[in-house]
Amino acid sequence: MRKRPKLFLLIGVFALVVAACGGAETAETTTTTAPATTTTTKATTTTAGEEPAAPEEAEPILIGATIDLTSFMSPFDAPAALAAQLLIEDINAAGGVAGRPLAFEAIDTQVDAEQYKAGAIELIQKGASVIWVTCDVDFPTPAIQEGLNAGLLTVAPCIGTDQMGPKRFGDAGRLAFSFGNMAQDEGAAMAEFAIDQGWMRAAVARDNLLVYFQNVADAFAKRFEELGGEVVLQENWTNGDGTIGNVATSLANADVDVVAFSTAFDDLPGLVTGVRSLGSEVPMICSWACDGAFWVPEGLNEFYYVTYASVFGDDPSDEINDLISRMEAAGSKPTTGGFVGGADAVKAIAAAIDATGGTDGASLADFLENMTDFPGVAGPISLSAENHTVFGRPYRVIKITDGKHAVVDVRSATSPADIG
Amino acid sequence: MIYLQAFVDAVALGTLFALVAMGIGLVFGVIRLVNFAHGELLTAGAYALLFTKGMPIVVRIVVSLAVVVALSAVMEVIYRPLRTVSPATVLIATFAISFLLQNAALLAFGTQGENVEFLTELNKAFVVGGLRIRWITVVGLAVGGLTLAATAWVLRRTDVGLQMRAAAADVQMARLLGVPVRRVVVMAFLVAGLLAGVVTLVLAVQRPLITPTFGFQVMIPALVGVVVGGLDRLVPAALGGFAVGFATVMLSSLLPGAQRVFLNTVLFVLVITILLVKPDGLFVGRRRAVERV
Repeated sequence: MRKRPKLFLLIGVFALVVAACGGAETAETTTTTAPATTTTTKATTTTAGEEPAAPEEAEPILIGATIDLTSFMSPFDAPAALAAQLLIEDINAAGGVAGRPLAFEAIDTQVDAEQYKAGAIELIQKGASVIWVTCDVDFPTPAIQEGLNAGLLTVAPCIGTDQMGPKRFGDAGRLAFSFGNMAQDEGAAMAEFAIDQGWMRAAVARDNLLVYFQNVADAFAKRFEELGGEVVLQENWTNGDGTIGNVATSLANADVDVVAFSTAFDDLPGLVTGVRSLGSEVPMICSWACDGAFWVPEGLNEFYYVTYASVFGDDPSDEINDLISRMEAAGSKPTTGGFVGGADAVKAIAAAIDATGGTDGASLADFLENMTDFPGVAGPISLSAENHTVFGRPYRVIKITDGKHAVVDVRSATSPADIG
Repeated sequence: MIYLQAFVDAVALGTLFALVAMGIGLVFGVIRLVNFAHGELLTAGAYALLFTKGMPIVVRIVVSLAVVVALSAVMEVIYRPLRTVSPATVLIATFAISFLLQNAALLAFGTQGENVEFLTELNKAFVVGGLRIRWITVVGLAVGGLTLAATAWVLRRTDVGLQMRAAAADVQMARLLGVPVRRVVVMAFLVAGLLAGVVTLVLAVQRPLITPTFGFQVMIPALVGVVVGGLDRLVPAALGGFAVGFATVMLSSLLPGAQRVFLNTVLFVLVITILLVKPDGLFVGRRRAVERV
């Protein structure tokens, strides 16, 4: 009996600590201890009619990746890495870059902070010229800092915030870039599409879990109002806090032309199903976060999202469709368009090395900061000294009708929304 | 009207947490073990529903319940050698099992998840006085009430229930009096598994994306509810779970939009305050109960 208060205290403290950690995903990161694995690609495939491959004796330019290939960030990191490796095959088959082949070596960090740091150090010691990190700015920060401290260009294929650069890492962040869609740009494109549909009254649902989700919602609201629309309702919640039913009810009751939001994970189907099940057929528009068929409830209608590329066989770009086929042949068909960031990152890195004649981080950063309308695999993309995350990408606007996905528009935002 | 609608949604979440809390409270009442892996029972049941997608509803329900109850029985076997070690050791062991199962699911099924498409019609709503009430809320309430009543009946009116209560009061004494303690513990896990199976069915309707953390996400707030309500007894534990779910939604509707990022902060300040004022539990009476289940 005397032990009971201690036991209660122990259980209570334990439960509170776990709850305060913010949910399961954070917990996973701290307990995953499987040894890191590495994969290396040094493709030198040559086919008839092509230029000769880069000389075998030339030292490869190593892109060293500390990414998640088996844990909860793997749906983002792995397709981008595969697309990057396929692009490297193409580049090497065409003679490489500056007379040298590209190589891609990945260390599976399983989203563990220590693995990121150790992985980056290992890759730098192996002579990596570029550090490549997970599609999130927080988890791989130790690896990013190692890359920046070594003076190396440090890139992420699909971070969607403007944090991969000086805004987060100060002066050293000049060497950091992301080839994901900047949330301010995606949100602006969503708003411009909505206005073009004649939807003038909007409800905006802002998921506070990720900065990316918040920025998309804020950017939508800003651009929507700049273009004469009215945001008549703004709902706030944090993914996983249990209030999604309440949010859905509020959105379903709103007298609006469109519901805009950006969210993912468990609350995405909860929100969409919640609104539809209450009888509301209002059009809903979302960002890349809603890409993919895996979460979509049966018979969903009037649902739109903007993304990098369509993985449903109807993308307007042959290059994209060919890349998807090759990824499928490699045993990993992409489930969202996020792989495009991996391919674009390799193209841009190769162009930067070609243009500067070397792998000096500062020189490569100079090139990328001045990159305007660079021919990415899905269309022209831009970076600038102010925006180290891609903007201007032609988004595929995909509409879901009766559960089926189809591209209904391809559009770039006129500019990223200024949300401060 | 907004607050009435929030009240309805709060009842729905509260009911869900109450159901989870009952399973946790039952096992704790009998063998003083907080099973952190209780959430993984829900996850296993949800994957069973996913893999039987396309089959008749009855088959899906039966398979799901069977998987959850079987896994609960396996957990009892795993925890058996730990009954004589310190509570802290047991706590960490159950946590380890939880993460082992989560990571096994992650490696086996990936993290992206898939829509389970289970009894989706129950998400539809009917309107009463301007309030939209989802059928699953009504079903959840009915299931919660029936389950609580059935569990109470088993505990109060059957030989097994009597033996559980005896073991909960004093294991050594019960053993000396001829109570088959091992069988009683197995029964407790089986009943807890059945409760988890029922929760899975309700939860899969409300949250149809099945991922490796499907159950863990509701287990933690439910566990907080169990501690807040009173870990010692079944009804206070269930009421505690209900209170946490109910408070979550009501606080969310009371906080101004921009301040909702502080929802968990406010909620856990309340939880800590309650634990400081009533460490034995919010719903445990002044006279400490003799029986724990």
